[in-house]
Amino acid sequence: MNALRSRRFIWMGLGPTLILYALFVFVPVIWSAYYGFFNWSGIGEAKYIGLGNYAEILRDPVFWRALKNNVIFVAASVFGQVPIALVLAVLLHKSNMLQRFLRSAIFLPMVLSTVVIGMIWQYIYHPQIGILNFLLDALGLGSWKLEWLSDRGIAIYSLIPPLIWSYVGLYLIIFMSALQNIPGEIHDAAKIDGASGGRKLVSILLPMIKNTVQVAVILCISGSLKSFDLVYIMTKGGPAHASELLATYMYNSTFTTYRYGFGSAISTTIMLISLLLIGTSQWLTSRKKDAS
Amino acid sequence: MRMNKWISMLCAVSLLALLLAGCGGNGADEKNGGNGDKVSITIWHNWTGQDAKAVAMRQIIEDFQADNPDIEVIDEGIPTDGLKTRLRTVAAADEMPDLFVMWPDAMTKEFVKGGLLQPINDELDAKPEWKNNFIPNALDGYTVDGNIYSVPMNLAPSSFIYYNDALFKEHGVKVPETWEELEAAVQTFKEKNVIPIVLGNKANWVAQSTLFSTLADRITGTDWFLKTVEQDGAKFTDPEFVEALTKLKQLGELGAFQEGFNSIDETQMMQLYFQGKAAMVINGGWALANLVNNAPPEVLDNTHITILPAIEGGKGDPGTTAGVVGTGLGVSKKLTGSKKEAAMKLFYEMAGPDGQKATLNSSTLVSYNIELDKSQAHPLFVELYDLMQEVKITPVYDSKLGSAVVEVVNNGLQELLDGGKPEDIAKKIQDAQAAAVAN
Repeated sequence: MNALRSRRFIWMGLGPTLILYALFVFVPVIWSAYYGFFNWSGIGEAKYIGLGNYAEILRDPVFWRALKNNVIFVAASVFGQVPIALVLAVLLHKSNMLQRFLRSAIFLPMVLSTVVIGMIWQYIYHPQIGILNFLLDALGLGSWKLEWLSDRGIAIYSLIPPLIWSYVGLYLIIFMSALQNIPGEIHDAAKIDGASGGRKLVSILLPMIKNTVQVAVILCISGSLKSFDLVYIMTKGGPAHASELLATYMYNSTFTTYRYGFGSAISTTIMLISLLLIGTSQWLTSRKKDAS
Repeated sequence: MRMNKWISMLCAVSLLALLLAGCGGNGADEKNGGNGDKVSITIWHNWTGQDAKAVAMRQIIEDFQADNPDIEVIDEGIPTDGLKTRLRTVAAADEMPDLFVMWPDAMTKEFVKGGLLQPINDELDAKPEWKNNFIPNALDGYTVDGNIYSVPMNLAPSSFIYYNDALFKEHGVKVPETWEELEAAVQTFKEKNVIPIVLGNKANWVAQSTLFSTLADRITGTDWFLKTVEQDGAKFTDPEFVEALTKLKQLGELGAFQEGFNSIDETQMMQLYFQGKAAMVINGGWALANLVNNAPPEVLDNTHITILPAIEGGKGDPGTTAGVVGTGLGVSKKLTGSKKEAAMKLFYEMAGPDGQKATLNSSTLVSYNIELDKSQAHPLFVELYDLMQEVKITPVYDSKLGSAVVEVVNNGLQELLDGGKPEDIAKKIQDAQAAAVAN
């Protein structure tokens, strides 16, 4: 009886959220997937074309470039943001003035809106008045000057520093709190055993926060798969689709060229790719657990 | 205990109901027009800025509201890009506002096809002195199958060279009248470390709308373009179009544009011109208000306006510039009775003779025959006005092509100016247009 009642209570508690979630997340996702089968400009008749949109996506070189750029973004986040944040967390986890100042400085971009970050970096990269090219000139490295955002070959790589810079603060905080959660006895024990410096870091601290790092990596992957705003502000996915991501590709197809059906098909494709990636990472981590 | 449970259940349910009601509730009273016999109409527009035109248009709405206490005008200003997107969104849901600013040609056609607009032929025919005063072909962009759906409230030539005469004099350069002279001017400025033509093509419509539409017309002629749009015996892979692309590419390779033009936007482009770092900027008639308001006097006083130079051997008329008749007001199909009457009254205030005059007085060209009061206007606007008395309008690419094709053209031009091959880009554009026509 008691179990039944508490189960009922659980459902009652979950109910409203579930209904809202279903209404505002599941239903639109399903609608969107449904629209993906139509050739529809948003106005007037929608024409059923089966898998035509999906076939077009797979044939579209822009889609593959967007996917590749997204992979670059995921890799840059996972191998950029996480290690840098980890190193910084280890270096800055004491609390003197300098370290507190550095911590705030690193966290600062987190409280800036992406629009602001995009504008700042746009001016850093500005071809005429940008500080980056100016600095290179001043250092006598004029030959390293590039058209950072307008050269099709490097635009996507130019977007990586702002991407890393803007999120490192978040992971720094996560890792610092994880490090602070390591109980004092372990530090004492390490001291007694004579472990310090690099040895302590590799053998004690890192294994202790392994779970946190795993979570951070997953956050990183999902976050950079969703990237949109930074790129949209800095390059609009251009020049000539060179820095297009899946999300900007979807946005441009839907709202610039007004192909709602095609855009919906892209959204659905993005969702499938994300599910695939998350599924894989889940499978990998759970397999590891079984093995150990 | 039992009682408690019921109470908590009740709470949860009512909370949920509240939440859901909050989501769908508003909007109901907007539509029914509120109290008694007061009629309310909604209008969406893009007059959000502080430029003279936007202020003048908002003033008309305010005056209309004051003169007609029995009509309530609910106006909503949304910046241009956002307005276009929102109109598409409400169009998809079939919830158009009563009146809304819309664009001629492609957008009007699509909205008519979607059954969202009602024609205004009757209103126009009832006031012939209004209808007959528009400049030739002004209503074409709003006419579908013989029905007229709106009238232009301004005129938007999209391609002028604004040039800094002080820089031309300082370096002994002649204002170009032929393409060779333009190329020579580019070379001279380049050698003197002045940006010859400043371009901001990050939002990728700029090169297409302000430069390429006119350049291509000079070479291909308007007839060829209109035939190609219909895919009627002409293709974008034809040699004349490839030549137009090549011409633009050569101009870029000559160093006409500053470094990194694909990464700065139109605003930053105008900034560089304002700073006196560039000899020329190519932009639409709409840039004039910005120039007059924001350029420092030493640049503004030396700025003059001309059209793109003639190209020898081209099939187009050299005395033209690309442009569109400006935006008009769309009238929702759902309007009837007293609401329609009220809406049409406001329509006439804004797009009728008085509205056109107010627009012209706010330094904006109109597609309507009225004289400019030259003593009141800024000298640069007088220059533009006089220039437009002789210059004819040819189509802008993005007004005649569907939005998907426009996107291909815009991206193609970015690629072209960044080393792309004219033949490849012509083929991409042709493929896109062929697909669009087939649909």
